[in-house]
Amino acid sequence: MNLLLFGNPNCGKSTLFNLLTGLRQKIGNFPGVTVDKKTGYVTFNGQTIPLTDYPGIYSIYPKSTEEQVVFDALKEWNPLEEPTVGLVVVDASNLERGLFLLSQLADLRIPLVLIVNMIDLAERNGISIDEKALRRELPSTPVVLMNARVGLGKERLLQGIELQMAQQSSETTFSISESILDLEEFSQQEADAQKRSKKVKALYNKVIKVQEKVSNKRNVDRWLTHPFWGYVIFSAFLIAIFQAVFTLSAIPMDAIEQGLQWVSLQLEKNLPEGAMQALICGGIIPGITGVVVFIPQIGLLFFFIALMEDSGYLSRAVFIMDRLVRPFGMNGRSVVPLLSSMACAIPGILATRGIPNSKERLITLFVTPLMSCSARIPVYTLLISVVIPSKKIFGIMQLQGLVLFALYALGIIAALFVSWLMHRLLKQDKRSIYLMEMPDFKPPHWRNIFTTIFDKIKVFVLEAGGIILALSIVIWALSNYGPMEERKIAVKRLELQRDYQRSTPQQRERLTRSVLLEHSYLGKFGKGLEPLIAPLGYDWKIGIAIGSSFLAREVFVGTLSTLHAHDESAGNFSLREKLRNERNPNGSRKFTLASGISLMVFYVFALQCLSTLAVSRRETGSWKIPIFQLVLYGFFAYGAAFCCYQLF
Amino acid sequence: MKLSEIPKQSSVKILEITQPFLRTKLMEMGIVPGVEITLTLKAPFYGPIAFAYGNTQISIRLEDAEFIQVNPLAP
Repeated sequence: MNLLLFGNPNCGKSTLFNLLTGLRQKIGNFPGVTVDKKTGYVTFNGQTIPLTDYPGIYSIYPKSTEEQVVFDALKEWNPLEEPTVGLVVVDASNLERGLFLLSQLADLRIPLVLIVNMIDLAERNGISIDEKALRRELPSTPVVLMNARVGLGKERLLQGIELQMAQQSSETTFSISESILDLEEFSQQEADAQKRSKKVKALYNKVIKVQEKVSNKRNVDRWLTHPFWGYVIFSAFLIAIFQAVFTLSAIPMDAIEQGLQWVSLQLEKNLPEGAMQALICGGIIPGITGVVVFIPQIGLLFFFIALMEDSGYLSRAVFIMDRLVRPFGMNGRSVVPLLSSMACAIPGILATRGIPNSKERLITLFVTPLMSCSARIPVYTLLISVVIPSKKIFGIMQLQGLVLFALYALGIIAALFVSWLMHRLLKQDKRSIYLMEMPDFKPPHWRNIFTTIFDKIKVFVLEAGGIILALSIVIWALSNYGPMEERKIAVKRLELQRDYQRSTPQQRERLTRSVLLEHSYLGKFGKGLEPLIAPLGYDWKIGIAIGSSFLAREVFVGTLSTLHAHDESAGNFSLREKLRNERNPNGSRKFTLASGISLMVFYVFALQCLSTLAVSRRETGSWKIPIFQLVLYGFFAYGAAFCCYQLF
Repeated sequence: MKLSEIPKQSSVKILEITQPFLRTKLMEMGIVPGVEITLTLKAPFYGPIAFAYGNTQISIRLEDAEFIQVNPLAP
C-alpha cells in the first residue's frame, strides 16, 4: 500500500504532511531534477504506510518542473503492482482549482480521498461549502473537512484513508478523457483542460453555499508593495537576515569550532602517536568542523525564509523586487539567496531552490559565489593592511575602508554582469510563465518553520557533507605528506642553521612546520604553480596559500603565517609586518601595491571553496555546473588579477 | 483593452487570452473568458501586477498581462 499526496501550491499541503508523518521524513530528489521528494510514514491501526509528498501543482499537464515531475511519476505508476490511495488537498477558499486537479487524478482511476483544508479561513472569507452536496457529487471519494494547522479533522482523515484503502474505488464523475497521460500534444491537453474546467465550474457552483462579498482585507498589501514603504520594509527584513547570518551565527560557529578543537586536542593527547592520530586530529576532525560549522548559518537563513514564506510576506517582497532583478535574468525570489551569499554562499545556494523558474534559478545559483562572503574578510583585511596606506582621502574617507567597499562592489557588479550574460545566452522555456499566488496573511506555523530548518540542515549534512569531508581530508593529506627523503633532508638542513639553534623551542616548532609544509605535496604544487602565477605578482608561498584556501578562504591567512615562520628577526612578529618587509634578492619589496591588489581581485572572483562546489553539485544534480563555475571564475580571477598587476 | 493597461482597483471581465500556455495555465486555476477579476496591486517601476479572482490574489508580469484582453465593468 502506498499513499500519494497531491495539492495546489499554498493549500497547506506541507502542514498536512508534517501533521501525518511528524519528523519521520526522508528527503531526496526526484530522478534527474532538483525538486524535493519527501517520503514519510503514517502510522494508524498498527500499520505503517509510506506517504510520498508530490510538489504543489495546478495541473498534471506539465508547464513547470514540478508539474513535469508529477506527470512523469504518474506515467510510471501501475495500479496493479502497487495499490495506492491518493490524498488530494484543496484550499477551501479556492475549491474550484483544487477540484480541477482532483478531476485529473480521478480520471487516472486513482482511488482518492479529498481533503478540504483551511476550512477556518474559508469561513472567515465568507465561504461555506455544502459538504453533503460535495459527497453526493463525488460518491466514490471520501471527503474530509480539515484545519491541518491545529490538527482538526485528523481522525476523520485517517478513517477516510482506511475506507478508501479497503474499497479502492475510483471516481467516474468526470471522465473527460480516457487516458489523460497519453495526451502528449499541448493542443490535446488544452482541449481537455477546456472541457474539464467547464465541468469543474458546474460542480463547484453546486457545492458552494454562500459567498459573501469579500471585504477589503488587502489594505496591508498596499503598504507592503508601496513604491517607498514596500522597499523600506523589505530592506529591514534583509538587514535582519544579513545580521543574523553574518553576526548572530558567529556565536554558535565559534562554539562549534572551539568545541571540536577541544575534542581534537583531547584525542591528540590520548591516542597513540602515529598516522592514525594525525589523520583523525588533522584531517577528519577539521573536516567535520568544516561541515558542522555551516549549520548555524543555514538554520538562521531558513528560519527567516520559512518565516517570510509561511506568513505570506515573501510573495509580496518578490512582487516588488521582481522588476529590479529582471534585466539580469533573475526572479524576485533571487534577492534573498544573493544577499545571504554575502555572508556565505552555502545557505545562499540552498535557498535558490525556492525560485520557480529553472533558468532564473540556475542563473542565481551560478552567480552566488561572486558575492564576497565572510570568509574573504580575513584575506581582504590582511592584504589591505599590508599594501594600502592608512590615510584619509577627501578629508573624510578612510582609504582602506574604501578599498574594502570597492572589493564588495566588484563582486556584486561581476555577479550582475555574469547573470546578464547568461540571461542573453540561455534560452527561456516558453511554457514557464511567471504566475505567482499571493496568499493571504496568516500567523506563521512554527512546526512548519522548524521542519523546514531541520530538513535543510539534514540535506546539507547528508548530501554535501560527505563530499566536503572527503575533499578536506585530501587537501589535508597533500599538505601533510610529501617525498620522505626530501622532507628529512630539509628538516636536517634547517636544524643546522644558526637561526634555528638560537630560537626558542616554540619558534623551532614553527620553523619545522614551515619547512615541512614547503616540502609537502601541496608545497610542491605551489612551487610548480609559480611560473603560472608569477605574471600575477605572486610567489610560491602565495601559491600554496591559494591551494590551501579551498578548505575555506580564511585558511589563506593561517597558511601564509606558517610559511613565514622564519624571518622572525628584527621584531617582525606580525604577518602584516613580515609581508611588508619581505624583499626580493635585489632588495626591492616583494609584496607591492600591484601584487596586493592583484591578489585581492583574485579572491573576489575565484571560486576557492570546496563546500560551495559540493553544494552546487547537490543543487544542480551533477558536477557539470560546479566545474564550469570553478573553471570560468578561475579564468576570470586570473585575467583580472593579471590586468591589475600590470596596471598598478 | 489589455489587462496591463487597467488602472488599480478596477474590475474587469476577461474576454480572451491570446497566449496558449498562459491561457491553459489560467484555465487550470479556473480563470477563463467570462470571469470577473479585480486589479488589486501594481508593483513599482512597471513591475508585476496582481489581480484578485475569488479569494485568490495572483501576480503576473506586465508583459504577460498584455496577452489578457479585458472589458472594464462599470464601477
